[in-house]
Amino acid sequence: MKKKELSLDKDGKFDISFVLNAKELKVKISGDETLLELIRRLGYKGTKKGCDTGDCGSCTVIVNKKATLSCIIPAFLVDGCEVTTIEGIGSISNPHPIQEAFVEAGAVQCGYCVPGMIMSTKALLDENGSPSDEEIKHALDGNLCRCTGYVKQIEAVNIASKKIKK
Amino acid sequence: MPEYIEKYYTLKDLWKSVKKLPSDRKYLAGGTDLVISLSCGNDKSSVWLDISDIDRLKEIKEDGKNIFIGAAVKISELESNPLIKKWASALSECVKYYASPSIRNTATLGGNYANASPCADGVLALAALRAKVMLNLYDKRRVVDILSIVKGPKKIDLKKDELIEGFIVSKEERKSIFMKMMHRKRFGIAKAGLCMCYKLEKGKLRDVSISLSSVAPSVVRAKKTEEYLEGKNPSKAQTKACQLIREEISPLTDIRSTSDYRMRIVSVFLSRALCSI
Repeated sequence: MKKKELSLDKDGKFDISFVLNAKELKVKISGDETLLELIRRLGYKGTKKGCDTGDCGSCTVIVNKKATLSCIIPAFLVDGCEVTTIEGIGSISNPHPIQEAFVEAGAVQCGYCVPGMIMSTKALLDENGSPSDEEIKHALDGNLCRCTGYVKQIEAVNIASKKIKK
Repeated sequence: MPEYIEKYYTLKDLWKSVKKLPSDRKYLAGGTDLVISLSCGNDKSSVWLDISDIDRLKEIKEDGKNIFIGAAVKISELESNPLIKKWASALSECVKYYASPSIRNTATLGGNYANASPCADGVLALAALRAKVMLNLYDKRRVVDILSIVKGPKKIDLKKDELIEGFIVSKEERKSIFMKMMHRKRFGIAKAGLCMCYKLEKGKLRDVSISLSSVAPSVVRAKKTEEYLEGKNPSKAQTKACQLIREEISPLTDIRSTSDYRMRIVSVFLSRALCSI
């Protein structure tokens, strides 16, 4: 799927192809567009824009199975990649066990950091089904929360890990 | 905003076409620094050369008495790679303190070096490992000491189009210690950092190298302290070594910390390091 050269068309845009939430997409992007701007432009507004400098983690998505900050990755770098956002793992009517666990543990207050937290958790649990508290802290290291104080998120990841194993 | 983005899969293709492109061109591998620079209005280049998928730049391999680490190797790969763990453990240790996991999945070791920050954790580890950097210009290579071309914050002495191909670390059985002081326990920029590589033979230190971050315009080596520690018993040499390392640096006071605090913490780090041996 990868292309050798991405050059501007007459409207000043590049063409890229990638898989977003299991859907193959071909989109036009501008050279300075970040992945965050692209996915929000495509209507996936679950991914939040926080600091826009890679510090807060609220824009975390999964690119080729790895948690990635969408605000500091240029959109053209995902040409040929597989991207998953919060919308790709669950919905209100059919939430993912991680989303259920965050609600059960009370790890959601204002909610702004939660999509990023959940994507970091998803990347962690996909790689390591039974993480220790230390491994959870390590994986959620870049996701800042200004309401809950972090204890409940660790609880939520432990609950999610048990739910997924069932 | 870039008008072209050229993606390359081999160095051969890169050297074939690079000269034909507009002259304000820039390499990009992870993009984590470049995107921020672009959004702050500091990047005016019209062509970005995407080198993130050049196989040679993604290699970590043994090469006789050395290991080669490609410039586009992601920081997260350094943590678990068996060759790095065995021969360059300072690098795998630095990853624990390096930004956040999601940045580590994108950022590259070459980018950390190219940005020439005085607080670069990757460069701190490479300097203590006495690594060399392999530079490539139109398929002609030169290998230089890791700190020899770093001239200050964001200043690196590279020729036009010269590419950081990778880093060379010699295979030495040395142990390493990595320490970093941040505002938070993790995920922060260093107020000061210390990395030390050494051998211990019959209770005496041998082959010591110490690098320091955030105490000078670039990462530096504490050469006088290294010399002093050579052949010494670590706990007996502690007091004098800690005094000596303070004399070697003259850090600035800035937004992250004060000169005095930095002096003290570097000395405390060395003391802790020597006690732990």
